[in-house]
Amino acid sequence: MVITALGTAGAHGCGRAGLARALAAGMPPPATEVDRSGGFHRAGGAGRALLTPIAALVPWVPPAEARRMGPPSRLAVAAARMALADCGSNPALLAGPGTAVVLSTAFGPTSFSEALLRQILLDSPEAASPYLFTESVANAPAAQIAIACGARGANVTLCQREAGPLLAVGRGAAEVAAGRAERALVGAVDEMSPLLHAMLDRFGALARPREIARPFDRRRAGVVAADGATVLLLETAAAAARDGRQPLARVRGWGSAFDPSAPPTGWGRGSEALGRALRRLLARCGVQDIQEIDRIASGASGSRAGDRLEAQVLRAAWGAAALPPVLAPKGVTGEYGGGFLAAAVLAAAGVDGVAAAPTAGFDAPDPELGVSPHDGTPLPPLRALLASSLAAGGAAAWLVLGPP
Amino acid sequence: MPMGATAATPAELAGAKSGRAGRRVAVSGAGAVSGFGWGVEPLWQGLCAGATAIRPFSRFDHRSHRTHVAAEVPPPPQGSVPVAGRSAGGRRSASDRSGRQLSLADRFALAAAGEAAAAAGLDAALPGLPEGAGGVFFGSSTGGMWEGEGFVAELFGGRRGALHAIASQQVNGPGDAVARRYGFTGPVETVSSACASGALAIGAALAALRAGEVEVALAGGADSLCQLTYGGFNSLRAVDEEPCRPFRAGRAGMSIGEGAAVLVLEPLERVLARGARPLAELAGAGSACDAFHMTAPEPEGAGAAAAIAAALEDAGIEPADVDFVNAHATGTQLNDDAEWRALERIFGERARRLPVTATKAGVGHLLGCSGAIEALVTVLSLARGELHPVPAAADAIDGSCPAALVTGRPLALPAARAALSTSLAFGGSNAALIFRRWTGPSP
Repeated sequence: MVITALGTAGAHGCGRAGLARALAAGMPPPATEVDRSGGFHRAGGAGRALLTPIAALVPWVPPAEARRMGPPSRLAVAAARMALADCGSNPALLAGPGTAVVLSTAFGPTSFSEALLRQILLDSPEAASPYLFTESVANAPAAQIAIACGARGANVTLCQREAGPLLAVGRGAAEVAAGRAERALVGAVDEMSPLLHAMLDRFGALARPREIARPFDRRRAGVVAADGATVLLLETAAAAARDGRQPLARVRGWGSAFDPSAPPTGWGRGSEALGRALRRLLARCGVQDIQEIDRIASGASGSRAGDRLEAQVLRAAWGAAALPPVLAPKGVTGEYGGGFLAAAVLAAAGVDGVAAAPTAGFDAPDPELGVSPHDGTPLPPLRALLASSLAAGGAAAWLVLGPP
Repeated sequence: MPMGATAATPAELAGAKSGRAGRRVAVSGAGAVSGFGWGVEPLWQGLCAGATAIRPFSRFDHRSHRTHVAAEVPPPPQGSVPVAGRSAGGRRSASDRSGRQLSLADRFALAAAGEAAAAAGLDAALPGLPEGAGGVFFGSSTGGMWEGEGFVAELFGGRRGALHAIASQQVNGPGDAVARRYGFTGPVETVSSACASGALAIGAALAALRAGEVEVALAGGADSLCQLTYGGFNSLRAVDEEPCRPFRAGRAGMSIGEGAAVLVLEPLERVLARGARPLAELAGAGSACDAFHMTAPEPEGAGAAAAIAAALEDAGIEPADVDFVNAHATGTQLNDDAEWRALERIFGERARRLPVTATKAGVGHLLGCSGAIEALVTVLSLARGELHPVPAAADAIDGSCPAALVTGRPLALPAARAALSTSLAFGGSNAALIFRRWTGPSP
């Protein structure tokens, strides 16, 4: 199983080159002031997010088509088309029953849901717009990708918070590996509406006051929220070779687990059990010696509790062995919107410079964590990369990638 | 494959391509919450009586909505809903501490899961499963949207709202709550593919069991009645002012329902080894997308037919082996027409004689849970040897979709071999499940 294309839209712009540049520079793209006119934000709260420049989507989703889509659908369809362009394939490749679509979204189409509720609750239920309703469902982006590409295989949307993007890769890979699909478009999409941004801030999830994500740092104070979409093309190595598509990375395995000690919106205490689940995954992927994993793309985001659990799980899995270099790309991509998934694939693909910058936002190690992210020292060629993502609420997902 | 594995590799899954090649999977327990009440028996009795739970409701003031009926879940029997149980070790569980964050959909899910686990004889055993052996595969469209609506109404009114109300809105809330209750440490996955969510979740559980990812799966779905979906479907003019009338000539739309349904799924040999009798076998699952339109199904039913064909192939059976259908049957013109075309594509001329039942006429459309509750009713139909009738017997069947609808009284089918349950969703996502009657020995 290989990944042969990557499309991504985010604050870095459209396409993987912009994200690769940001990762290589170790600098997040400029954050945007979030519209606070709705009055949902608290005084002194976080005010910025990493938002996709909407104008950048126009070449991928023309206005005549975009008018029938909500923000997440536009992002997702644009990313799918970028993936197709990335591998230089004809759109006919995706048309037909052989293409499955598996997307994840943490919060779904929040702006349209809010707008629809305004109509129903404040105006009149009879004022409710069928267009808003149609695009308020969580699976609208996956459905719009299917419509845009003619993809008639399984069409699945997963909602499992921060673990969703890696779960979606696993689910899509399962469709292909089991022969139920010839290929799968997999990935993640999320918008960051002002209301959602304000709620994340009220839960204390967002970095303040300087609004910098500091993964694993002693001073970390929360995440920087992001919107965006990432879509990967998964197929068998044989199909890629037959059609001349150059793999970016090989998918060696995937897995997930759950920490039942986690509260619905926070992180739990089950690091030892999660560490054992991760060890079982690695064994099943044929990783006989854990030191074969020579880098980790960590989902550490700057969350105080989330990064602590991430560090504990990694240390539990590695035991007495030294951890390999730990990349923490959410310092650049922010949280949500699929940027982390794209960054993990770019790191596995060995894209120049992606793993050769100091970790954005990191200044001082947290002695409690025992994990310091990668300092930018040049790394040897990849043997195996572990992508790790723990979700608020208890879900955990991992993906093992190898060089093509 | 070792118990407790929580992952898959391409090589492992390649061996699970066909149901015939993988482990056989049994349904060992079932639990439900519906407009007929809390439990499987109220559901089955209501359906077999030809009754409908679709009626005027009290969840919210619907005077300004276009329609005024829904299948609302009645209040639970006092003390019957397991909301704040204690974990096996006597320590307060996360669900105890966060009990106020449980949405109505979460509570439906916990009640259905509790009933299903007890029916499987596993209630006490689930918290003690080996690490990674228990998984939850759930479908939901809106999770705790009902509670979320209360929160945003406060915000729209200039007030702050209580954060626990919005915390409970997460779509993954019901599945996560079930996993917490049983201390599961295996995969937990919430599908939110509109009305196919529950069936897709059950299909995902089947794949995980066949691949040896889990030894026990709690699979199903939960959704609660809320203004967003009630007003939203009304905005599409897709809701009947009367209880829905699937496949009838005078049908005028769907009816919204709410509730939860959970199946306990296990490898067949595991169920037999402990001396339990399976309710049925989950033999196959298939899915496909119309790639046609966001709300309208592809009119010739090609996508739905592809999902059914995939499920039949996965089960390793032929269309002739299917003895009845629990149809998606929303009662909208477009859905029922397209679904009929799909049945004709698969079953040919036999489609006109194949018994069809339509659970939504009794409990309404449970949205992300509809595929789960209809799968559960399909299992009950096989286990009990009869199909429930569809209400509104006085209305004529639509000549353009002449399904052999069961009407009037339950239809005895004690020798039915296999059954099909279909789900056709918003966005063109179709899913189909095949269940086989258990004909093996009783313990």
